[in-house]
Parts: sequence; C-alpha cells; structure tokens
Amino acid sequence: MYIGKASQLSRRAFLNRTSQLAMIGTAGAYALDLAGINEAAAFSTQGDYKALVCVFLYGGNDHANTLIPYDSVNHASYSRIRRDVAIPRSALANSVLHLPDGQLLTDGQTMALAPTMPRLKARFDQNELAVLLNVGPLETPLTKAQYLNANTRAFPRPRKLFSHNDQQATWQSSGSTGNNSGWGGRLGDLAQSANSNAMFTAINASGNALFLAGNQTLPFSVTTQGVVQVNALKSNSLFRSTELSGALRDVILNHHQHVLEQDYAATMSRSLTYAPFVDDALKNSSVPAPVPSNSLSEQLSIVAKLIRARNQLGVKRQVFFVSIGGFDHHSNLVDAHGDLLGKVDAALDHFYETTKAMGLGDKVTTFTASDFGRSLTPNGNGSDHGWGGHHFILGGAVKGGRFYGKAPKISVEADDQVGRGRLLPSTSVDEYSTTLARWFGVSDSELASIAPNIGRFAFRDLGFMHTDREP
Amino acid sequence: MEDDLRDAERTSEQDNYVVISDKTDQQNRNKGAQILASSPIALSLAACGGGGEGSAAPSGSAAPSPSPTPSPAKAQGIAKDDANAARFLLRASFTASTATIQSVKDEGAEVWLDRHMRQPNDQTAEQFLEENGLDQVDGNREFVDGRNTDRMLWSLLMSGGNAVRKRVAFALSEFFVVSASPPLTIPWPTHAIGAFWDILNNGAFGNFRELLEDVCLAPAMGVYLDTVGNRKGDQQSGRVPDENFAREVMQLFTIGLFELNIDGSNKTDNGEPIETYANTDVEGLARVFTGYDIDISGVNTFPDPNRPHVIFPEAEALRKPLTADPSKWVRPETESQHSLEEKEFLGTIVPQGTGARESLRIALDALYSHSNVGPFFCKQMIQRLVTSNPSPDYIARCAKIFNDNGKGVRGDLSAVFKAILLDSENSTETSLNDMRFGKLREPVVRFIQFGRSFGLHTDNNEGITRDFSERSALLTQSPFRSPSVFNFFQPNYVPPRSTALANEMVAPEFQLVDENSTAVYINFIVNTVDGRGFWLNDLEPNYTVEKNIADDALALVNRLDLMLSAGQLRPATRDRIISAVSSIPIQGGEDDDGRIRRVQGAIVLIMVSIDYLIQK
Repeated sequence: MYIGKASQLSRRAFLNRTSQLAMIGTAGAYALDLAGINEAAAFSTQGDYKALVCVFLYGGNDHANTLIPYDSVNHASYSRIRRDVAIPRSALANSVLHLPDGQLLTDGQTMALAPTMPRLKARFDQNELAVLLNVGPLETPLTKAQYLNANTRAFPRPRKLFSHNDQQATWQSSGSTGNNSGWGGRLGDLAQSANSNAMFTAINASGNALFLAGNQTLPFSVTTQGVVQVNALKSNSLFRSTELSGALRDVILNHHQHVLEQDYAATMSRSLTYAPFVDDALKNSSVPAPVPSNSLSEQLSIVAKLIRARNQLGVKRQVFFVSIGGFDHHSNLVDAHGDLLGKVDAALDHFYETTKAMGLGDKVTTFTASDFGRSLTPNGNGSDHGWGGHHFILGGAVKGGRFYGKAPKISVEADDQVGRGRLLPSTSVDEYSTTLARWFGVSDSELASIAPNIGRFAFRDLGFMHTDREP
Repeated sequence: MEDDLRDAERTSEQDNYVVISDKTDQQNRNKGAQILASSPIALSLAACGGGGEGSAAPSGSAAPSPSPTPSPAKAQGIAKDDANAARFLLRASFTASTATIQSVKDEGAEVWLDRHMRQPNDQTAEQFLEENGLDQVDGNREFVDGRNTDRMLWSLLMSGGNAVRKRVAFALSEFFVVSASPPLTIPWPTHAIGAFWDILNNGAFGNFRELLEDVCLAPAMGVYLDTVGNRKGDQQSGRVPDENFAREVMQLFTIGLFELNIDGSNKTDNGEPIETYANTDVEGLARVFTGYDIDISGVNTFPDPNRPHVIFPEAEALRKPLTADPSKWVRPETESQHSLEEKEFLGTIVPQGTGARESLRIALDALYSHSNVGPFFCKQMIQRLVTSNPSPDYIARCAKIFNDNGKGVRGDLSAVFKAILLDSENSTETSLNDMRFGKLREPVVRFIQFGRSFGLHTDNNEGITRDFSERSALLTQSPFRSPSVFNFFQPNYVPPRSTALANEMVAPEFQLVDENSTAVYINFIVNTVDGRGFWLNDLEPNYTVEKNIADDALALVNRLDLMLSAGQLRPATRDRIISAVSSIPIQGGEDDDGRIRRVQGAIVLIMVSIDYLIQK
C-alpha cells in the first residue's frame, strides 16, 4: 500500500494529541475543554462553526442516469449504448446544467440532471451546487494501459474493485485499503480540539460506517428521533423497584476483562453518559419538519437539529454521516433510480434551505459518495457494478454552477473506462476529501493524514470550495 | 484483586491480548506496534485500574472500569456438567431447559446432536401457510402482499419443530441472504421467503452442493439477486447478462474474495493476498445464470381480480426451482433466453452451445470444488454459532471435514455442523476463560431464546407479526430483513477504536451496536419480559416454574443463569442480581405480585448483563 510519509505525519499529529489528552486525564467529558490546546499547526478554526455532511448512496449510484449527456451528439451515443435504460432527450430539457462561460467538457458535452432532480438543478443555477465528474478510489493516477498491466505492484489499484462492501470501505477510508479508520473520522481527529465536547465531533445518523471512525474520534450515533434513553434508569425504577434499576445499571456496565465485553460496555457507557445530555440539547432545538416519507430527509433533519444545538453541545467543527440505500439497480433502473434520486433531490435541497435559515448556509457543506458508479452498457433493464462516478457538493461555500474533474467520454471503448463503460476514475477520492478538508480547516501539512496518497495526485484542492487559501 | 491477577496471568501465558481501560488506553496506543507484545503489562495495569464498579463517569474515552473479574461459571449452585451441557445447547439450538440439559448429560452431546440432526424437518413454512389459509386467492391478496412474512417467520422460529435444524437454518439464512426488505417483487412474496426457509431447513444437514443449487434456483433468490429476468447477451444492442448473482455467488456464497488456506488465512504471493476472481470471471459466470424465470408448469394460474389482464400462478409455483424452459413461464416464450456463448470463469470453460442445465452443473461443480469453500463457509458458521474469532486450527479442523467427512464425501453438512458444534476448542475451561473467545449474541437469537424458554408462542393466537429491523427500534434485526445481501453484519466487522481492534479481532455482531441500539434493547427486553410490549400482540410469557421458586432468590437466579447464560454470569453479577431480587418482598402464593416482579427482574437483569450478552 502506498502511504508515503503519511504514516509519519498522521502519527505525529496523533501522538501529540494523545499526550494532550492524557494530560487532561480524568476531566469530565462535559467540561473536557480542549479548545485551549494549541493545534494551530494542524488545524485552523477562527471561532466560527463548520460542518461536513457525507450523504452516502448505498448500492452504487448509476452515475450515467444521474448526469446525462444532453447535446445531441453525445446523447445519441448514450442512447445507442444504454438502449432500454436511456432517458430520452426530451425528458431532460428542464434540467440542463448550462456551462459557465469558458468551461468546456470532453467532446463538447453538455449535461442534464436526472429529470427527478429539479431542486438541485436550481441550486446549480444559483451557483450553490457543484458537480464532480468521474471521481473514485485510486492508489495513484492510473491509465487504462496501466490498469490492464498485470504488474499490480508497479501500477497499484484499489483491491476488490466492483465489490459493494469493499468499495464502500475504500471510499470511506479514502484510498487506504485495509485501513480501520475513515477520512471523516480522521477529520474529526484533527478537529476535535476545536470542540469542548469531543464526543460530538463525529455524528452518525445512519448505521455504523467506517467513514466516521477515527484514530481518536469515535462516532456518536443518533436516530431520526434523537437519542434513546434506558427508561428504567431515567425513571430510576424497574418493575417499581429502585433496587432492580440500580442493579440494572451495574450489570450493564460491569464488563470484566473480556475483550468483547469491554467493547459492549464502552458503547453502553457512552449511551448512558451522553444520551441525557443530547436529549436535553435537542429539546430546545427545532427545525422545519423533514420531507414526508423520505428517510434521508429524516436523518438530515436530526442533523439540522444538532447543528442548531451546536453551542449547547459545545462544538465548532462537526462531521456527519447520513445515507440512503437501494441504488444497486441491476434491474428496474429507469423507474426505481429516478424515484431515489428524487428523494435525494428533495432531502438535500430541504436541508440546505434549513441551514440557510439558521444563517449557516455557507458553514455547512453537504457532499455525496457511493460504492461506485455503474456500467454504461445495460444488462437489460439495469446496469452493473462500476468504479468511478459523479458526485455533488452543495452549500453556500461551494463554488457552484460548474463542473469539476473531467467528463468521461460516452463510450464503451475509450481509455477512460475499463470495459462496459465502467469508468476509470480521473479524479481520486483523495483529491475530493482533501479539498473538503482544506475548507474545513486542515492545514496542508496534515492533509496526508486525511488522504494518505494525496501526494501522488495532481491536486490537493480541486477548487470547488471557497477558501481564502491558495489551492 | 488477587484472583483477578491470577486469572490475568494464567490467561496471558496462553495468549497475548490487550485490555484497554482508561489508564492503559493511551499507553497502548502510544506503543503502537508493541501493543500485543506488551500485553501482560497492559493487563496488570488494567487489573489494578479498576475504579468504582459500574461507574459511568464521563471521560475522554468513556470506557467504564473493569470490575473484579473472577472466572465465570463455577458459580455456587450450578453444577459444572449442567453448565457445560447448557453451553453446548445454547449454540446447537436456541434454548437450554432442565430436560434438554439432562438429556445431553445422559447421552452425551454427540449422541444428542446426532439424534436431533436426524430428525426430519417436521414444521415447514409450507404447512404454516396452508394451515392459516394464506395460500388462498382472496381479498387478502397474499399473491402480491408480503404482510404475513414476519408472522410466518416468527411463528416458525418461536415454536415447535426441531430447534437444532432451525438454529442452523437461521445461521444459513445469514450466509445465503435473501431479504424481504424492500419487498420482493414476486408473486406470493411470503411463500417465496417461506420456500427459501424450507430449503435451508431441508438442506441444513444435507450436502452443500445440493443446497447451493437449491439456493441458486430458489425463486426468492432469483428475484433478490436478479437471476429472474436475466437474459442472454445481444451483440446487436450491446446488452450483456446481469452480473449480480454471478458476483455474489462467488463473493458471498462459495469462495470469497481471496485465495484461502485450509485454516482460513489468506494465501499470499510476495506478501500480498491473491484475489480469487477478476471481473472477466464475473462476466463469464454471468452467462450461466441467464434465461431463468418462475416455473408454472403443472400449476394453475388465475387473473388478478383487480386487474384481470395480469395473470398469477398459484402459490405452488414459488416452491419450484426456476426454469430455463421459456415455455413454462407465466409469459411463455419460444426462444430460450439462456446464453449459448462460451462461458469462461475461474479457469473453467463451458463450451459454446451448452444449455442451461449443463452449464449450471459445470459452474456449480467448479465453485463447489474450489478449495476456498470449506474454510470460507466453516469460518462463518463458526462465527454464527460459536465464536467471532475462531483459531486457525478450529477452522482447519472443520474445513477438513467439509473437504472429506471421513468417508470420502465432500460438503457433508451434518458432519460439518457436528465438527463446529463439538469441536474440542469450544467446550474447554480454557476457552471459557479466554478473553477473546465467544461472540455477541444476536438480538434475534436473544428474543427467540426468551420466547422459546418461556412459552411465549401458542398455536392459538396470531403471535408476533412485525418486522423488528428498523434501525434503533426494538431489536434492530429481524429474520430475513437484512438491509442487503451482506447480512446485518459482515464477518470482518471491527468496531472503531475498540479493544477488539487493538487485539486484531473482529466482532461482526457489533455492526448493530451503537449508543442507541444498546439502550433500545434494554427497553425492549423489559417490556417483553413484563408482557406489555405492543409487539407481543396477545402473547404472554409463562413463568409458572420460576414463580414457584421465587421465594428462594438464589435458586431462582441459579435456574435462570443456567438456562439463559449457561451459568456464565460472574459471581459479581450474580451477587448483584440476587441481592436486588431478594429485596422485593413476597407476601403470597403463585400470583403474588412480588413473585412476579422477582422473576421478571431476574430475567431482565440476566438478559441485559454483559456476562449474558457475550456468549462464551
């Protein structure tokens, strides 16, 4: 695995932080004030609030029916290849993403959003949404010839390509196969010193995911309803007995030395310690109701509530994870995929509107990720697992209304695909993550702890975020 | 504390493992690579670092301190051979009762297991659906509606039949995953899931090769992973076969991603693991699974009363294997949709022009005979039934049985499950005291254990009817409700920043564990035990035996400790439970409120205790 100097860099930051934590020792979590520790070298906060929200599209989003070539020549190629799953040009007229002056895409393409995404189309027009084209996991820049070369030592590529769970993990850990942490968690490692409550640095409103696991940072989990408390402990009574509820508290925390018992008890303990506090904070925090029948919007709604309660929670930098599943469209691509994208469109737009209403439109950046893109060639009425795909970045700090990265050719033979139109990524997840990290406040010297292979790629900043730093 | 240290020393002689507590956490992390080598020191520190018991004091890492840790099981009042029998029973089935414990002691675990494996599958989903009139075409619209899926599964899991077969079938349902979430787009969706459940039960102690074929051709699997409707490639249009099933049958159902040694470790080439297949293998194998659909030959069809132009087969069709003969489909065709191109995968070539049946035979034979299948399958079954981190030797012993049952037969699942359940490693004091041995009990298995232990289900009522898989609500898991073909949890899941991670261990079931699901479970079990949970519908647990001994708190806790946790509560936990239960006064006979609260209190305290949750 390529990691270059990253291990040393991240290790240094990590050890520093570790010793600082050790000094603080037994201070209570609520009072755990790390803000005074000078982390300026690693991380910059200027007293403001910032949050990154990762929206993971589980199953592998069909990029080619999310952003569709609209110019007649490329749409014809697309239709010829996609056949029964092609979206007709006539359905795209209202969702064309007009290129800004001076921007030209491969083969003179213009692109349209899926017809079920009118809200994000409007955000693009208002320069609040950026599109990142053909991004995916890479260990190093790779040509098709290098990909086809059997010498994987000279031309390394992510392991277990095209496999759902493995590519989810690869995306979430940012190019470092076999890593046990995610880049959201590692952002948290650097950022948690900005927060007086380190526990609320990384918050998961979805199921457990590698993305938020740091070396120090532990994701805290919330449900769409907030947090769940143990009723018997809250009321201090189990079957009308305080003796029983007292014993309950003991037996759920007594963990002896068994490894798995320790780990279960640690989570249980976090639950008991923090749930009442979070519950309190959420009580005073109200946001507009989520989009009906939209689980993604429900997750984003609790995220918005937590953001509103940020002062009470004692946080200035947060990373959130939400998700929506069902994107593995081996069949029924046209209808089911369009519906799902419609949910993403409504949920993201509503969430952004909510953050704007809080005055945080440019402090909260939402971005998408997925297992992989899919094959351009259909298998009938669906598509199969691919590699690179297109993604969205939404927020007031986004230099929207533009495309970033390189548009793939609409082809099943070109050098930017590895067969059946499965895209060979032209932009790496590392470049995606470091661009977001720089906006978040990570210093350039620490970027390799977020994206271990970043030094091998052309850009540490793809330019889609407004920052006052040199790219 | 002295006991504590002795235990620690004894264990650390055998194994290196790391304990992370408040004090040792940072030290261990700073040591980095030395972490494993330094375990005796780390362990001593941890042992001395015990703070207040049950302290929830907030801290940076928020891990509570370990309580003094005596070795488990040798609790007063529970005979060791009872505990051992229960330990075996709680892996081989869902419950341990006084009677089954006695049987295992009398005849020995092997004879007992043989006897139960030989028992036929005497309770099927098919019977359930028939007895409940759910195979009728009527206003309930079972032919398009899956609302009875959960009711069927809970009924079958909570009551009757052969619990050994069902326990193994449930483990198989987490390997050959089919899910009713989102609803299968198939006629008679409950029947499709039911037929799949019956396949797993019928095949649980048969041959892996036959089970694999049954799974491949099950309509539920066919729809779940898109074999149904998968058509041969078309050069002119550029259409190619759907790769979904071809990929997952290799990755998840047979060989996995990397070449394995017999002990489950990766084979390596210059230090790198070797991938078992490339995408070209997926493309080649995908052609094998083309041209199938539901077989309605010999089955009556009927028009949907609401949409007369839509034709449905009767439910029986969902119990037949898929067919590649297009004349037998609901919408018959004249031309086969099976690919006749050459099919090349994993070094096997199915010649051009080979038909569906022969192609399938060659493909499944090739997968089945791959040397990975034994270790790949056995490791996951050990994880489901016994321990998350089996030793390489344990895996190898079972995989060798998979490869040859001693009579030259490969894939004999009764021999494989016997090997898994009777392995010498899992019944010793050593493994009982090994701080890495065991697994987190799955939420569904806990609930089934409760239900079967306390007679929750009766044939006279509807029973449990809901899906419990909603995240952080009730159980976070429900049979056949996995969010994807990757099951509720993956075999290599490691919780972030955990002690398991520091010890290079996996903890699959922890993928369902978070700050909410831990609390949710406690609330769930409280309202299950007191019979008030709305999810119980009209069911009531039966505590007759327990109520009769409730005045003797020690006897009550001994009984429940044995049947629920195989006597694995540590003395500190037992003492705490006994003292809390004793504090509740008893004033009268069987239905005295105090008796009931004692019983309910004891069950809840055991079933939420960490000692119980981690099954050793």
